[in-house]
Amino acid sequence: MKHLHFALMLMLGLSTTACQPKKTPQEKKMAIIISTLNNPWFVFLAENAAAKAKELGYEAKIFDSQNNTALESDHFENAIVSGFQAILFNPTDADGSVANVQKAKDAGVPVFCMDREINSNTVAVSQILSDSYSGSVAVAKHFVQQLNKKGTYVEILGLVGDNNTWARSKGFHSVVDNYPALKMVAQQSADFDRNKALEVMESLLQAQPNIDAVFCGNDAMAMGAYQALAGAGKADKVKVFGFDGAADVITAIKEGKVSATGMQFPQVMAQMAAVFADEYLRGKRDFAQKIPVAVELVTLNNIDDYAAFGKK
Amino acid sequence: MNLAIKKEQFSKLQSLIALLVLCLVISLLSDKFLTVANGWNVLRQISVNICISVGMTLVVLTAGIDLSVGSVLALCGAITAGLLKMGIELPDQNLYIGFTLFGACLIGILAGAALGFFNGWAITTFKVPPFVATLAMLTVARGLTMLWTGGFPISNLGASFAKLGTGWFIGVPVPVWISFLVVLLAIFISNKTPLGRYIYAIGGNENAARLSGIQINKVKIMVYSLAGALAALGGLMMTARLDSAQPNAGTGYELDAIAAVVIGGTSLSGGRGTILGTVLGAIIIGVLNNGLVLLNVSPFWQQVVKGLVILLAVIIDRANSKGE
Repeated sequence: MKHLHFALMLMLGLSTTACQPKKTPQEKKMAIIISTLNNPWFVFLAENAAAKAKELGYEAKIFDSQNNTALESDHFENAIVSGFQAILFNPTDADGSVANVQKAKDAGVPVFCMDREINSNTVAVSQILSDSYSGSVAVAKHFVQQLNKKGTYVEILGLVGDNNTWARSKGFHSVVDNYPALKMVAQQSADFDRNKALEVMESLLQAQPNIDAVFCGNDAMAMGAYQALAGAGKADKVKVFGFDGAADVITAIKEGKVSATGMQFPQVMAQMAAVFADEYLRGKRDFAQKIPVAVELVTLNNIDDYAAFGKK
Repeated sequence: MNLAIKKEQFSKLQSLIALLVLCLVISLLSDKFLTVANGWNVLRQISVNICISVGMTLVVLTAGIDLSVGSVLALCGAITAGLLKMGIELPDQNLYIGFTLFGACLIGILAGAALGFFNGWAITTFKVPPFVATLAMLTVARGLTMLWTGGFPISNLGASFAKLGTGWFIGVPVPVWISFLVVLLAIFISNKTPLGRYIYAIGGNENAARLSGIQINKVKIMVYSLAGALAALGGLMMTARLDSAQPNAGTGYELDAIAAVVIGGTSLSGGRGTILGTVLGAIIIGVLNNGLVLLNVSPFWQQVVKGLVILLAVIIDRANSKGE
């Protein structure tokens, strides 16, 4: 199926470029500028924003900033110059992206942040934010309960240069560090990558063969860690905790392989941002600056309510 | 001639000594390092890098470079995973083509060879510098991976495919067998066949090689195709191991492969180096990765240490080859 899709996309790519000169200047269009498309979660966010914008009658174009604030700056300039009326924005950096949003504001283009915030309350029209911190607090509370407040664990961090890595880690430790009998015996990074997490976990299991749990900064790493545990025959002794709500982990929770994850709602955030932008362009002006979208704890108990990246 | 052989042997020995020193230091700091289970872990973990860096060695010996291996690995892993999981559907003709395990793997590897062939073709026919041609392929293959997968992983590929990454055969993990056979094959090619001699000759002095009648373009295209096929093989092993083709798999793997080649004493200007040296280089990187995690070294410091080891290896290598 995907292959056909691929062939179709190639063909469509050719045919749409051929028709492009017919465009009228007054066309309604939204730019969707995303921190990275190198991660399914953000692809899902971008595609949902684009789908909602199209449903509302806009043309939508997705820009990939490749986790690079300078490239993001180029995208903003291009979007402003080529007449996009609104920008649905997933920032690369809380501080670094402020100047880009300011640029759009100065040019009269409203910006709506999705998932990640920027450190300014005056430049974006509204920020619809995934509450990573409180989400990891919820995962941590479940973690403490599952381990009966005692035991040893390892933490596998995401990219060490990424805001989300530390928001999740800090939220987790704000709870778990209150229990002195819960000991973190190693903290390593696997760059949000399934294969790296598998390798790191294999090595960690050599150094720490008797751990009770592993907390991972995202679900891809949780799957990698689980596979290392399964390979070492320890899958039923060590509890795995993830974050994101990706398809593989939803299945793994159902099968009892992973204990819990923090479910984020990219679709909710993306659609809300597109609707807000549409309302703004129709004249509405009073938007809340920050709208936190709660991250929900998903375990075996409530798994039937959830699907990949959202509720059923 | 005798002197040259001695030097070659010494440089091999030098990587071996470095490896032994590294192992000694880590085992003094952690009693978990020198265990059989950990040994298999390290060997299994480096088998993907060995496949890639063996191909990279052949490329570098011709004074080239292949930056596209990480993306080619991801694309070919995804192609095989997609074919296995979904086959090809042609609704217009009411046709569905399913793939056997062997068929899907074969197509994955052939796709890798084809991408490598394209690299070689651009480099020889249009005289595009290898760095630029393969840099372009790095981007193109990553983009094709995204198109093919839609940006989402392809998971749950079945137990028989998973064996390629997680299985054991006569007491040795399957990926270790595969990388072992790849190494044997590459040593045979580089030492015992005309192709091997041509590769060294081209890297040593391309003009001289051309004048002596070697079909340089043909050799280069073969070498890049081989590097592509080996990257694809690495991709299959990784996909099997994870039971999932990740769209961002293999990002930055070209650098690990180049590091293994360089640490193993192969000269980036071509003509000098050995497959066995690269294998030692890959083992050194694998042991380092494993040791740093075993010792719970901070992830920030790990990058610094790895970079310094690579630099040190090249400095020692340079100091040795000054006499030539």
